[in-house]
Amino acid sequence: MSKRRPYVRSMDGWWKKNPFYVEYMIHESTALFVAAYAFTLLVGLVRLGQGEAAWNGWLEAMKSPLSLIFHVVFLLAIMYHTYTWFKIMPITLPPIIVGGKKVSPGAITGSGLLAAVVASVFMLGLVWRIAQ
Amino acid sequence: MPDSQKIIEIEVLRYNPESDKEPHLEVYKVPFSDDMSVLQGAQYIKDHFDGSLTFRWSCRMAICGSCGMMINGIPKLSCETFLRDYYPNRIRIEAMANFPIEKDLVVDLSGFIEKLESIQPYIIPREPRSLDQGEYIQSPEQFNAYIQFTSCINCTLCYAACPQFGLNPDFIGPAAIALLHRYNMDSRDGAAAERMELVAAEEGVFNCSAVGYCSEVCPKHVDPANAVNINKTNAAKDYFLRFLSPKGGSK
Amino acid sequence: MEIFKADVVIVGGGGAGLRAAIAVAETDPSLKIALVSKVYPMRSHTVAAEGGAAGVKKPTDSYEYHFHDTVGGGDWLCEQDVVEYFVRQAPIELTQLEHWGCPWSRTADGHVNVRAFGGMKIERTWFAADKSGFHILHTLFQTSMKYPSIKRFDEHFCVDLLEDEGRCQGVVVIEMGTGEFSMIEARSVIIATGGAGRVFRESTLGGIVTGDGMALAYRHGVALRDMEFVQYHPTCMPVTGLLFTEACRGEGGILVNKDGYRYLQDYGLGPLQDKPKNKYMELGPRDRLSQAFFFEQQKGRTIEHPTLGSVVHLDLRHLGEAYLRERLPLIYEMAETFMGLDPAKDPIPIRPGVHYTMGGIKVDGNCAASLKGLYAIGECASVGIHGANRLGSNSLTELLVFGKVAGVDAARNAKSLTPGKSASLLKQAEATEQRLLALKTKTGGTERISVIRKEMAQSMEDGCGIYRMENTMQATCDKLSELRQRFKNISIDDKSSVWNTDWLTAIELDYQLDVAQSMAHSAIKRKESRGAHQRLDGFELRDDVNYLKHSEAYYVAGDVPRIAYGDVKITTSQPAARVYGAAGEKADQERKGSHA
Repeated sequence: MSKRRPYVRSMDGWWKKNPFYVEYMIHESTALFVAAYAFTLLVGLVRLGQGEAAWNGWLEAMKSPLSLIFHVVFLLAIMYHTYTWFKIMPITLPPIIVGGKKVSPGAITGSGLLAAVVASVFMLGLVWRIAQ
Repeated sequence: MPDSQKIIEIEVLRYNPESDKEPHLEVYKVPFSDDMSVLQGAQYIKDHFDGSLTFRWSCRMAICGSCGMMINGIPKLSCETFLRDYYPNRIRIEAMANFPIEKDLVVDLSGFIEKLESIQPYIIPREPRSLDQGEYIQSPEQFNAYIQFTSCINCTLCYAACPQFGLNPDFIGPAAIALLHRYNMDSRDGAAAERMELVAAEEGVFNCSAVGYCSEVCPKHVDPANAVNINKTNAAKDYFLRFLSPKGGSK
Repeated sequence: MEIFKADVVIVGGGGAGLRAAIAVAETDPSLKIALVSKVYPMRSHTVAAEGGAAGVKKPTDSYEYHFHDTVGGGDWLCEQDVVEYFVRQAPIELTQLEHWGCPWSRTADGHVNVRAFGGMKIERTWFAADKSGFHILHTLFQTSMKYPSIKRFDEHFCVDLLEDEGRCQGVVVIEMGTGEFSMIEARSVIIATGGAGRVFRESTLGGIVTGDGMALAYRHGVALRDMEFVQYHPTCMPVTGLLFTEACRGEGGILVNKDGYRYLQDYGLGPLQDKPKNKYMELGPRDRLSQAFFFEQQKGRTIEHPTLGSVVHLDLRHLGEAYLRERLPLIYEMAETFMGLDPAKDPIPIRPGVHYTMGGIKVDGNCAASLKGLYAIGECASVGIHGANRLGSNSLTELLVFGKVAGVDAARNAKSLTPGKSASLLKQAEATEQRLLALKTKTGGTERISVIRKEMAQSMEDGCGIYRMENTMQATCDKLSELRQRFKNISIDDKSSVWNTDWLTAIELDYQLDVAQSMAHSAIKRKESRGAHQRLDGFELRDDVNYLKHSEAYYVAGDVPRIAYGDVKITTSQPAARVYGAAGEKADQERKGSHA
């Protein structure tokens, strides 16, 4: 009879055991804010389809102090999500060869973040122009 | 022992399956010099205090892959981790996470070995060649496509770093998938299609949620997370190609 | 006791054992193969080999050159017919490994590249960066998974050979994970357990390199041949002994003493060369380079490091970071991690360390030992290609060439015989089990295993180091006899069954003491200097009249080994002066002249 008795450790609360996992969980959970904001915009679209009064009501709701607080929270969460999303992007891509050399993970993350900033500034400018 | 001798406290997670219900911590005071690795600390305990302390080790130069353990909660090779970097604090060593503990720092690796065997980790020639014909020719580009993934020393630190493996021990896991990818990317091999079934299977790449810690702890910079995630794309492509081509899309 | 019936059992899952297993499986897929290894095969010490494997590759090279380099390098103590076979098979086996996927480094046109190595006339060392052994081992291990007839007994420790009717018919093993004994019956038994260098203190070797297989065969009456020849590798990390590959010098690294002087020019390896030149200076053979260090130390020209002791410098700085990262990535990382220095900016302090046992289980050209049915391959064997000093990069090739030879012959042997009598074998296996369980359970011992091990290792270094003297060797022989006695009084802390490494280490130490005795007693009897066996007590020269002979150590129960001598097979290369550098070149030309 074998005297082996392998001990299996519990996985309870595994994500609290390492700062890397905590960051991973925050990254994953900030995706909910992305979804929540997309849902908010979707509601706006629906209200627009329901006529002018509905649309104006939605616009008013967007201007409430509570909504503004939520928007700040959304913005921060989505910014964090964007940052960590580009940070893990290098591990998800096949090697990118430029001039016979593999592009470094830092360069991939950097260009991703740069693209996100450029796109955001462009959108901001566009909306600004329309609002004028 | 000279007065100037530095002493570090090493806390070890001990487990003897024949007498312990569950693992417990024991502390040893180990005299050390600046060139001593954590492995040498463990050896000192075994040689001087308690011969029953059990751990795997061999080469001492981070190539045999035997001596992985959790060092202050982080998976590391104990031969290339140094006590001086922890002193004067106490250092805690435990068996690699996510594996069943057999005894003290020794874990059950049989599951990992079965996974290695399951991925057909050998060249299945694209074009068979006789020895008289000499070696296969590989251009630098062909060589560079797979060489990084040959560096895995099977230390399994990446498994100790992977919560998805901890939650589902059937997951083929980072190192085995990196090795699978190594053979798929080798220009001499022609069996990527055969290996695809396993890539896309229930125990395959889609267990991975891109935590990425496996690549972080890899002592040989294999980047197993990259191999896993490239194969997610490959499996997805293969799935859709199957719809388009009646013969199946595994390529 | 559990019984497993195989046709061929292989003890040792390193390069040689795996190559043999594949050879048996390819020869006859119906043969059942048991591959026993005390570690998972990819942990075997083949993994730590760095530089590469020798085999003729360049059009300017020839089998004849490889033969002469090897025989001369071995100070004419090689079996020349075996070397002839070896050099011809080498490129075939290395190509086979390429077909199996080994990532040999390549030239820009996609062919396998070769690099220079010590004592080799032409570049012929196939390499996979500086992780050649690692890649060879993993390639073989992974390839072995293709063959369903290979049943692995991973983390099983072999404790005895079984003999019946004058034939070796199996082995007894302990499953490390449970502490349980099993018997594996087989008609052919191949030992491939590697070297024994851990009987010395400062070595390049892993903890598993304890000479197990040598001791197993020795205790069954098989001779250990040429055991006095232990190689010191000239460039090792001080204190730990970790290896800086010879490829460091093959790629252009130089050795300098405390004055920044390339001292090798004073030891018959000159004149000084600007660029690496084969068989000159840093590309001389290992024994000569280690011996030069010894004399530099005597002359007070080594660097006295506050914590590392006496060292010289291995200087790679002129090669530049990019080149070093490409060709010597492991060396680069080791210098950074273990020594905290940057080889592109700092010279590396090094000194010689024990690296390889040239001798081993005496076998013929088919790798067959004197006990029928028993084979030995790799570092644990003495098939006769290394003589008194092994040339770097010959041993990785040896694993492949003779792994295959032994596998094919073991398969043939197994097919020619009918299974033996299990009952008689089982009785022996049970006796072994009782003996070893008694070792574990006995109480009242006072000696710690680690103390005996350290005293043995220190004594071997003192008496059987780079240079040897009668009185110090005698002291080592006496010390080993004392330790043999004290071993009887050891205490084992761990009395459990599961993963009892305390107990297994004691069994290993028992093996080590046997092997150490065979080395020390072979050494003291060889009253000459040849290859790695160098004396300073009136026997400074080679003596072909009396000692162009293999030493053979035979086990004597309860006593020191009996040393006998056997002939050396000479075919085409008569012993000559062993010279390198300019003198070597001149001798080569004269040899060619006399042939013409």
